[in-house]
This record gives sequence, structure tokens and C-alpha cells, in this order.
Amino acid sequence: MIALTVNGEERRLDTPARTHLADALRDGCGLTGTHIGCEQGVCGACTVLVDGKPARSCLLYAHEAAGKPVTTIEGLDDDPVAEALRAAFSRHHALQCGYCTPGMMVTARDIVLRLGAVDEARIREELAGNLCRCTGYRGIVRAIAEVAANRPAAPAAAPRREAPKVAAPAQAPAPAVELPNRIEHRETLSVPLPAAWAILSDPAKVAACLPGAVLTRHEGALLEGRFTASLGPISASFAGQGEWACGEHAGSVRGRGRDGANAAEGMVEFSLSPAAQGSVLDVVLSWRLTGPLAQFSRPALLRGLVAGLADQFARNLERSARGEAPAKRLSIWALIRAWLTRR
Amino acid sequence: MKPASFDYAPVETLGAALSALSAQGAKPLAGGQSLAPTMNLRLVRPRVLVDVKALPGMREVTETAAGLRLGAAVTHAEIEDGAVPDVTCGFMAHVARGIAYRAVRNRGTIGGSLCHADPAADWPSCMVALGATMIAAGPGGERRIAARDWMRAPFVTALAPGEMLLAVEIPRLPPGSRWGYAKINRKVGEFASALGIALPGVMVAGAIEAPPALLHAIEGIPPLAAVAVTRAVAMRDA
Repeated sequence: MIALTVNGEERRLDTPARTHLADALRDGCGLTGTHIGCEQGVCGACTVLVDGKPARSCLLYAHEAAGKPVTTIEGLDDDPVAEALRAAFSRHHALQCGYCTPGMMVTARDIVLRLGAVDEARIREELAGNLCRCTGYRGIVRAIAEVAANRPAAPAAAPRREAPKVAAPAQAPAPAVELPNRIEHRETLSVPLPAAWAILSDPAKVAACLPGAVLTRHEGALLEGRFTASLGPISASFAGQGEWACGEHAGSVRGRGRDGANAAEGMVEFSLSPAAQGSVLDVVLSWRLTGPLAQFSRPALLRGLVAGLADQFARNLERSARGEAPAKRLSIWALIRAWLTRR
Repeated sequence: MKPASFDYAPVETLGAALSALSAQGAKPLAGGQSLAPTMNLRLVRPRVLVDVKALPGMREVTETAAGLRLGAAVTHAEIEDGAVPDVTCGFMAHVARGIAYRAVRNRGTIGGSLCHADPAADWPSCMVALGATMIAAGPGGERRIAARDWMRAPFVTALAPGEMLLAVEIPRLPPGSRWGYAKINRKVGEFASALGIALPGVMVAGAIEAPPALLHAIEGIPPLAAVAVTRAVAMRDA
């Protein structure tokens, strides 16, 4: 049981720790003026006042808000600034579907109270965290500017310095590919080509050398298995199927898998070539990711993960070729070492 | 999406916090502005959220001749608004205003951002540029960690299991110091695609898929980071 103070009224709620404030307000208090959009802090529809300051009610668990004053759009009925904003929103057609409006109003009120008379550029900067799916920003900005203009300017802050524009170095355009993400990686192996190929041409041995991989079925070209990878506190375990193709010191695996709502499709192409001391393994990884993991992750971060995995795979392959057991556990320290040494 | 189930454990003393954090699956919660999105997306599923933001000292600010000690739960908005003393000639306030959105800055904390250790975040790179020191507490007592040793890999810090961040010590920049900061992102408030920082005698490239890099020359970094650092240097030297 927690006690929330919402719009000056105490509300006692029996809600689990995982309930965020937006759900507690809507479902627990019946205050449906607070809208829920993205639930990851991007859209701003759920913005309310906590301790008098705008906050994302989706990024704050209800238990955290216990004992703190919470003000929703319903609580701003008699607020003079909100009243002026409502009239201005109406005059300037600053809402169409109205979904973003409660969050817009809370943010707009904060802009007016905190910054006073501000120019349009600053209003747009401050509004960056509130998305209007109707794209009706012109009216919203005009409405806020009108109300702000009637207030004294905030104590003159020094103009914000901006970094000057400089030309970007020319970069070759990325080739159009079916799988949008692509990483190329090269590993030098201390074992000669025939010994390395004896492992690389056998999916079971490859899986044994690849940290996080488990092969559960291998019939002809068909592979089934699971792959688990971690990046800090985030980890994903994809289960799926793939096809294996193998040629002259080169091969590929194309597969697809799922981890809950996340789906991945990918291809690993590898080729082995002789070198003066041992051999050289070239790997091209291309993939498409959909689901929450794709929403969150920036593909660039995976480059480091792949570099770390490839390094561990190569060392395991060398051990395996020497008849030693591979180190199977995905070691975060090995990943870190790969990160630190790759520059 | 909604987060997976967890227990919420607000703590009031450091001892209670460290004891709660020693449990399997426990994770400290400060502002939660990076943690809650990953939890709502179910990318992170802690068993226990140990709310450390009300611990004594976590919001304490101490100014000395050498610099400023900021409790880990000081918010970005407080730094933006000048509610904490300025020892960096306006640099940190400028950076704070560019972090996410005001509603996020009102709750997000400097310590939480450093512990989340996203390479695209502002503070990890800024702390390296400023030569800051992290004050961590664990079962073995307090220890100091230099900012350049802090981020070991994306989302991985030098904190040992069971340790937490208490405060950050920021050395004072000489009065009148000039600085430059360039953040390249697709939209105001979005994650940075590249960060460039130029302080007196210091250049740092951030958001480079890896821990921030202290540079001697603008080379060996991704092209966009080179643009960011070049812009930051031009801003400092303008």
C-alpha cells in the first residue's frame, strides 16, 4: 500500500512495485488526462509535475512518488498560467487529435514560468521532448510564445555559445544491402590453415568455440540452437534456426531467431586464408533486428561486442586446434580487453 | 511495455544500501531516467531496485579551493540552473542543458548517468575531459577512481559488484578558461552520434562506440567524432 498525493488529494493504492506513475494515475486514480505514448521517455505525452517540476510519469515508479506532491493536467484547471495557455492553444489551433496535449500543456507551463519571454528557437528546443503525432508544432509554438511574451523575461542568461559548423570529411556512401547492418572483422590465428579449417568446417566445433552459442540440432544444412550475448546489464538470448553452407575455405550461416518480442535475422560469412604464421580469418556479419532491442540499441555499440566475441572465438579456435578445451563462458573481461586493445 | 516484476527497496543508510546491493539481481536506482526505459523495454530485469537517491550525502554539494564535490544524486537540471556552484566556467551548465529533455533532467542524476555508462551520454566524456574523480563505496570502504579508468566498456564501469557511486569530485578550471563542446545528434535531446570536448590543453572524443578517448591529435577516431572535436576546438579557440 502506498500513499500518493495527487492534485492535493491523498490516494491510497495497492499496486506492485513495477507499476509506473502514469499507470497508477490512470488506472489507480482514474485520472486519464495523463496519456501514455512510448513508455520510454521519448514522447512526453505522460509528462506531469512531481514536486512541482515536470517529470515523465512512465519513467518513475509509483512507489518512488509516494509522499511527493503530484500534479496532473486535471490539477491545473484553476492554474492561471494553464488557463492562459488553454485559451492560446485554442486561438492558435495548437491541438488536433489532442493526444500530446496534456504533456504539451505541462511542458508549456514550465517554459513560461521558468524562462518567461523567450524566442521561438528556445521554445522549440525546450519542446524537443514532446512529440505531436499530428505534427502541429507551429500552432503549439505560437500559443506558448504568445503567453510567454506577456511575462517578464527570465534574468538575462548569457547567450548560449554554439560550436561552429565545420565540413564533414567525405565518406563513401553505404552500399544498399538487404540486411541493413554490417560489420567486417579480421582475426589472425596462430594455427595453420588446415587445422583451422578442420574446426571452421564443422558447425558443432564452431559452436563450441563461440561464447554464448549452443547448437541443439545439426542435420545436413539445417542448424538449430541458441545464442546469448550481454552488453552490461542488458542481455538477450535468441533461439532459432539457420542454414549452413560451406565451400573451399569459406562458408556462411544464415539464420533467424527470437528472444521474446525481439526478432533477429542475420548472416555470417567467413573465409580463411593462409598467412606466413598461421592463418587469417575474415568474418562479415550482417543483420536486421526488430523489437525493443532494436529501438534501444545503436548498431554502433554492437561493433564492440562483435569484436570481443571474434577475439574470444579466435583464441578458442586456437586452443581447440591444439587439443585443449575452449573457454566457453562469455567473459566480460575478455570483451573489455578487446575494447581496450582495439584502438 | 511494462517492466518485469521487481521488489522496490528504498534505503536510508549506506550500510543498508550496501547490504541490499549484495543480493543477487539487485540494482541501484537513482533518477531512473536511463534505467527505467531499459526496464520498461524488458532489456534489464533486476530483481530488486535499491533506491539510493535519499541516502545521506547523495545530494550534498561541497565547494573547495580545489574544486567541487557533487553527490551522485544531484540532477542535470540543478547543474543546468546553476543551483550548484560553477567551477568549470559555465562548461557543465552548458552540457547539462543539452542532456535529453527538461522533464528527464529534473530527475536524471549525474551519478546515475555515470553508472549507466552509455558511451553516447554526456557526463562520462565530460568527466574524462575535466579529470574528475569518482568516489565509490563498497563493503571494503570508500575508494577513488579516476574518470579515465571509469568506463571499461559500453555500460560497464570500474565498480565492483556490490559497490556504488557516492559522489564525483570535479577539479576547478582556472578562472576565464575557454572551452568548446560539440554534440552531434539527429534531434535535440537524442543520444549523441558524436561528442567533441575541448578544454584548455585537453581534447576528448565521446560517443565513439567505446569509452571516451583523450586525444593528442584529431586522428584515429570515427569521422563524425573528428568533426565534433574539430568543432569543439574551434569553439574553444574562437
